[in-house]
Amino acid sequence: MLKALNTAASGMQAQQTSLDTIANNMANVSTTGFKKSRAEFEDLLYQTIKEPGAPQTKNNPHPTGVQVGLGVKTAASQKLFEEGHVQLTKNPLDLAVEGKGFFPIQMANGEIGYTRDGTFHKDAGGRIVDKNGYPLVPEIVVPPNATGIGIEESGKVSIQVPGNMVPQQIGQIQLVDFINPAGLKAMGKNLFTPTASSGSPLQGNPGENNLGTVAQGQLEGSNVNIVDEMVDMIRTQRNYESNSKVVQAADQMLQFSNNLR
Amino acid sequence: MSSKGIYSALSGAMAQSHQLDTIAQNIANASTPGFKTDKNAFKEHLTILEKAPDVINVPRVPASIESFFDMEGTDKSFVDVDATFTDFGQGGLKATGNNLDVAIEGKGFIEVLSPQGPRLTRKGTFSLGADGTLMTTDGNPVLQKGDGPAQDRLIKLNGEGNITFNQQGDIYQGTNQIGTLSIVEFEKNDHLKKIGHSLYAPTDTTVQPLANPQSTLQQGFIETSNVNIVKEMTDMIQATRGFESSQRAIKAYDEMDAKLVNDVPKLG
Repeated sequence: MLKALNTAASGMQAQQTSLDTIANNMANVSTTGFKKSRAEFEDLLYQTIKEPGAPQTKNNPHPTGVQVGLGVKTAASQKLFEEGHVQLTKNPLDLAVEGKGFFPIQMANGEIGYTRDGTFHKDAGGRIVDKNGYPLVPEIVVPPNATGIGIEESGKVSIQVPGNMVPQQIGQIQLVDFINPAGLKAMGKNLFTPTASSGSPLQGNPGENNLGTVAQGQLEGSNVNIVDEMVDMIRTQRNYESNSKVVQAADQMLQFSNNLR
Repeated sequence: MSSKGIYSALSGAMAQSHQLDTIAQNIANASTPGFKTDKNAFKEHLTILEKAPDVINVPRVPASIESFFDMEGTDKSFVDVDATFTDFGQGGLKATGNNLDVAIEGKGFIEVLSPQGPRLTRKGTFSLGADGTLMTTDGNPVLQKGDGPAQDRLIKLNGEGNITFNQQGDIYQGTNQIGTLSIVEFEKNDHLKKIGHSLYAPTDTTVQPLANPQSTLQQGFIETSNVNIVKEMTDMIQATRGFESSQRAIKAYDEMDAKLVNDVPKLG
């Protein structure tokens, strides 16, 4: 049976994965703190029909063998942690990380998730929480009488209270970095969780130990570049088409064979 | 039966179907980074290799088609897939801006440690392991230059400072040089065998790499595959049509045999 049919099918599947990845990137082009992914491919195993160096005649080995590849597979879908562009919002609880690092967030199940999305709010109790209502770790509570919140580059959070000229420190935002951020697992809701390949979280104050700094009143946009994605989409679609042509060609060959009798 | 040539036609069909398998592989991997096009070499397999030339012997034996001219055994020639070889030509460079993507310009390969031992690859999409080891996306550690065993030549990064590769393959973390990527280059790549996962294995370990590799490394780029879709499509048309022609020839032999069996013996 023709191997070409399965080989081309594997090619079509790979292009499908690629298009799915591109679609997700494009859909999240305006998601704060979103990091794009990239589907990476590699060739499948090879079937060796004739070993290179096998004897052809006496003292005369084949210089090259005969090998047929069996297709392509998706090796990895890699997250790319390049920084997105920064947007000014002037909202005091909008934070962007300039440099490396993630905000630690306590998820509903008690585990810590990590995010680059710094759109924070206050909940009913004055706690600083993210869009989904998950609190920042360590927890910071803004008292109800605060008139203004100031967050320094180093993550120090202070408030102004009426009748007091001096700002009052109420907490310290910490950032977390990983040796291999690409190994983090995306959980949706802009959150990542650590895995065996990301390494363990390295927590610290912003600006220390190669961590980035915190910028108040700014948000990090997604790092998706629409032009790149469009070009990739065109290429993906055309490659898909080429593979489907191979399926057609293989089908035609089988048809010729069937018409023999 | 006179139709021994049906096997020549069959060999042609088999060769063309093999050709289509190779084309399918190339097209399926058109977007695999660092993939190199495979090609087939066909050769004529003459029956002269199987039987000695006949002499003309018209008067002595009853006449057959072979009696009338000396065939020298070349009346049937089969086609045989003699070799597949890889076109190691340079693929295009695609800018990604990712500092763990490197592309090789030139003939070189990057040495990586697979579970079966050191192997070579052109796919420079790296990532870091949990302990900071530089590895390929398959988890095979990337090796640095050195004389020691492969296990001692892993590259460890701790994420402090930006990772920079210069054109010679030196790796910097911030401003500290961590090591130099092991870039291996051969005079000819004939002894390299594809083993899948974008890796190559040497079949002949006596071939020594060049002392002064000329390849340069480009950080922030991926080498795309060197598959030329237009050429593959044209080859594919040729392969299907060649297959069709062979099938027609088989059919023609079949019809000849039908005549021979059914019509020739008819009396009156």
